[in-house]
Amino acid sequence: MLNRFQSTILILFVALLGGAWIVISREDVLQFTGRPELTEAPLAGYLAPDFTLPTIQGEWVTLSNLRGRPVVLNFWATWCPPCRAEIPDIQRVHERLGHRVHILGVDQGEMANVITPFGLEMGITYPLLVDADSQVNRAYGINALPTTLFVDAEGVVREVFTGILNRAILESRIEKLLRDAD
Amino acid sequence: MFPTLTLGPLVIPTAPLTVLIGLWVALAAVERAARVLELDVNQTYGLATTGIIAGFVGARLAFVGLHWPAYQDNLLGILWPINSGYHLLGGLVAGGLALVYVGRWRRLPAARTLDALTPGVVTGLIFVSLADFLGGPGYGDPTTLPWGISLFGIRRHPVQVYEIAVGLVALAVWAGSLPPRGRDGRLLLSTTATYALGRLLVDAYRANAPLTAEGYHTVQIASLAVALIALILIARQAAAATSGDDQR
Repeated sequence: MLNRFQSTILILFVALLGGAWIVISREDVLQFTGRPELTEAPLAGYLAPDFTLPTIQGEWVTLSNLRGRPVVLNFWATWCPPCRAEIPDIQRVHERLGHRVHILGVDQGEMANVITPFGLEMGITYPLLVDADSQVNRAYGINALPTTLFVDAEGVVREVFTGILNRAILESRIEKLLRDAD
Repeated sequence: MFPTLTLGPLVIPTAPLTVLIGLWVALAAVERAARVLELDVNQTYGLATTGIIAGFVGARLAFVGLHWPAYQDNLLGILWPINSGYHLLGGLVAGGLALVYVGRWRRLPAARTLDALTPGVVTGLIFVSLADFLGGPGYGDPTTLPWGISLFGIRRHPVQVYEIAVGLVALAVWAGSLPPRGRDGRLLLSTTATYALGRLLVDAYRANAPLTAEGYHTVQIASLAVALIALILIARQAAAATSGDDQR
């Protein structure tokens, strides 16, 4: 059993050693925010894999061109009941925050002539992207629908969310991205 | 990493599944610890279960409260989906208050009960690290060490595996301190100090750690503070025990 003096010395030693380790482990903040070592992967902490896809109106959208604002990538399909259930909430969030964040619906494996009437019926005004051969879905490893990726203003994936979202969850994630961007 | 588990038509996200299994194993650890420490097993197990349930409910209600405008026209959204929509601090406060209230109501010995809950908490933290490892929300710094794991072309420190190792060492310290010598609460303090010092060490290798504006790892700072508080309390306990022996 240590006496009081020995205990004090031990605690001071731990404090000094621990403090030194924290200083040694300090990150170069400029280098950190520059993210020089990042590679592309559909995982939190990695650069979102870049892609170019057409919208149902025929305009082309390139993910990397959207940097500067956070992006929400919602992978979905018209035949997917949980995807359909969350669409009204996504639409409402788009109406509220669409001027500060890009919300994109990336369809899985369907043609524009299937997606367009569905989008009109549901009153969707955010861009719906056509990934008819599912190439982008495969690049993102999407094997469950819906899956939603939250990408920050610098193009880094912050979260991969598998399953149905509601408005509160969506808004809380977007507001965090916006706070970080500010 | 295995972010999802595919069973026929079912695709199950591994992270929440791992956390659920972790809760069950953590409760089993509490039950075993209560038996070893000669506490009422049912009461201690019930206390831990109450703390977990209160924590989940508190975390959900805090989240709902903070985002009420998004829920007021969709009250079913409070119940579903269950895999997200929690506020960590709200959960910790509600779980902690429930533990204190139920513990006092049932007149459980506070320090010894905390000793019994400790392996459950550490087990839970181990499974959270395992869930992070499988689901992939965290990753380590680049390394050339042979045990590095390759993630999309870059070999990295398996930082969550380090965290799991820290948890196992902390559990070993808890088990190695049996039968408890000295005062009740000592198992909690020594295990906490071990776990916190371990996290202080390994968090240096986390690449996407939360940082202060100056670039210091916030988890490391918190870990050092927790470790020092635990060590100071251990020293005070030891001093009190020594003076008690002297008086006798």
